[in-house]
Amino acid sequence: MMLELLSVPAVILILGAFVLPLLPERARNTAFLIFPIMALALIWTMPEGNLLQTSFASYELELLAVDGLSRIFGIIFALITLIGGIYAFHIKDLGQQSSALAYAGGALGVTFAGDFFTLFIFWEIMAAASSYLIWARETQESDKAGMRYLLVHIFGGGLLFTGILLHLSSGGSLYIESIEPAYTTANIFMLLGVALNTAVPPLHAWLADAYPKATITGAVFMCALTTKSAVYVMIRLFPGWEILIWVGVIMAIYGTIYALLANDIREILAYSIISQIGYMVTAIGIGSELALNGATAHAFNHIVYKSLLFMVAGAVIYSTGTSKLSELGGFAKKMPLIIGLYMVGALSISGAPLLNGFVSKTMISGAMGDAHLEWPILSLLIATIGTFLHTGLKLPYYTWFAEKKSEFEVSSIPANMKVAMGIGAFFCILFGVAPNLLYNQLPYPTDFQPFSVYNFVEMTQILVLAFVGFWFFKNHLNVDSTISIDTDWFYRKPAGVVRYAFVKIPNRLFGVAETVSLKLAKRLSAASKNPMDLILPSFTMQGREIKSDGFTAPISAALAFILFGFLIASLVVLL
Amino acid sequence: MKNWHWIALGVLLITSLILEFTYLADYASHWWNHVPAFYALWGGLGCVALIFISKGLGKIFILSDEDYYDA
Repeated sequence: MMLELLSVPAVILILGAFVLPLLPERARNTAFLIFPIMALALIWTMPEGNLLQTSFASYELELLAVDGLSRIFGIIFALITLIGGIYAFHIKDLGQQSSALAYAGGALGVTFAGDFFTLFIFWEIMAAASSYLIWARETQESDKAGMRYLLVHIFGGGLLFTGILLHLSSGGSLYIESIEPAYTTANIFMLLGVALNTAVPPLHAWLADAYPKATITGAVFMCALTTKSAVYVMIRLFPGWEILIWVGVIMAIYGTIYALLANDIREILAYSIISQIGYMVTAIGIGSELALNGATAHAFNHIVYKSLLFMVAGAVIYSTGTSKLSELGGFAKKMPLIIGLYMVGALSISGAPLLNGFVSKTMISGAMGDAHLEWPILSLLIATIGTFLHTGLKLPYYTWFAEKKSEFEVSSIPANMKVAMGIGAFFCILFGVAPNLLYNQLPYPTDFQPFSVYNFVEMTQILVLAFVGFWFFKNHLNVDSTISIDTDWFYRKPAGVVRYAFVKIPNRLFGVAETVSLKLAKRLSAASKNPMDLILPSFTMQGREIKSDGFTAPISAALAFILFGFLIASLVVLL
Repeated sequence: MKNWHWIALGVLLITSLILEFTYLADYASHWWNHVPAFYALWGGLGCVALIFISKGLGKIFILSDEDYYDA
């Protein structure tokens, strides 16, 4: 059984997390890369089917359920762990390396889980391991954000687990299969639990709160794994739930508006994740084969370009020490290569033809067209325009090209970071020009053709005019040192009141009680020195010194009588 | 922005418009396909609308000082 477990890709990565500390420090960075490579090779070669069972209590668990859908998600999760490992090749932080491996292991475990218990366990491993990638930044801000992140995910896990238990107790299957659209309590809990990890507003605030505060390398893993593994679970469980069509549209617009307002570069990218996942959620809501293919392809491409964008943002922070548009600017000439790589990612996410975002966005809009969802199509186009505005124009313009806003040094970037970004950009272009490489791996066979004149005309007109709009109105975009109030307000702002009511007030009450009881004890002991002074003040003579042993004679007499009584009683009993 | 940047954008736009009015003249899968240069209009107006709507929402309640939660 132990050996069989090694055929589970998730176990390989989690085992890696435990092996790394045993290796010498200089071997760890290379070793880190070996585990995702092994997992990738394994995922690539595994046959389809339920490959490994184990029994737990009275349940038969499916640890390794492989089909077209789980394989493509497994491939991209392992691939991005490898690219992230290259990007993080220069760091010497065992905690971050181990938790990143365990985190990726969790994502792979979720992907290949065939039953709800296995899924839930890996779901929680992901939450716990990823929290460390925030804490490892070691600032006061990241300490607090990491704790909020963990608490929110524990809450989300609780929602999911409640749903699973209700589902099982109402006769539902332990095995993961699509759920009929019915709003039972069990389904609602499961949907909410999954929606929290998918970052559906209003359950999304953890994402934009935590990702900008994670470590430079940690954020690369985070932007790829948590939300997309939840998208995968959503494709599995809730395809064709019509409510998701509009939920996705709202996500896409919501994320766009907040990304347009954000000042921190990684916050812009974080909100843009929410916006992009909106496309996938909408496609899942449609539920047709083309739509689910589109959601899968978009999740795949999204991981590639979004991690590239996060890598570049990390490089900017590494090099300048700041992440705020209100402080950056004026150093485009110092990093032309990085800007080029960034623009590949930015144009991909904006859906520019011949880059990978285009080949999956057109698939989703094709599926929406087939379903005659005209207003959702137009709304998602608005989100596309917004994406181009904030990720494609605002971020690069104010980071590199606009006038310099503060003094900072631009230090050089390690070569391994550049290599990782180069690989990311390579895949953006590869899948953009040869989409069939991706389409052939999709869960349903497809002959979708993205390169139509119509799609070219559509995207060109939109992007060109959006650029013109940006150029003339760019001064109206926010680049001041501000933060955005989001739904995390509901648990961050009242925190002070909660702390006051449950910590400070009880603390003060105990303090007061302590002083009162001490004072009381002091007085009692003072009074008990001379009780006659209280009971019969006339008995004590004025001016006579009070001795605490002044009354021993009468008391001794009383005690002697009592002892004498005992003596008599015992004699009577014994004789 | 240098002049040739604008010229390149103009060429792209004009190419797309020519294709729209020739190759796609009879194309009608959505109601908006009958509106000439619809995607250009949607792109331009959408962009301006997003900039000002987000600015307005930012002013009304979203944007705050950086120390908002520390205060």
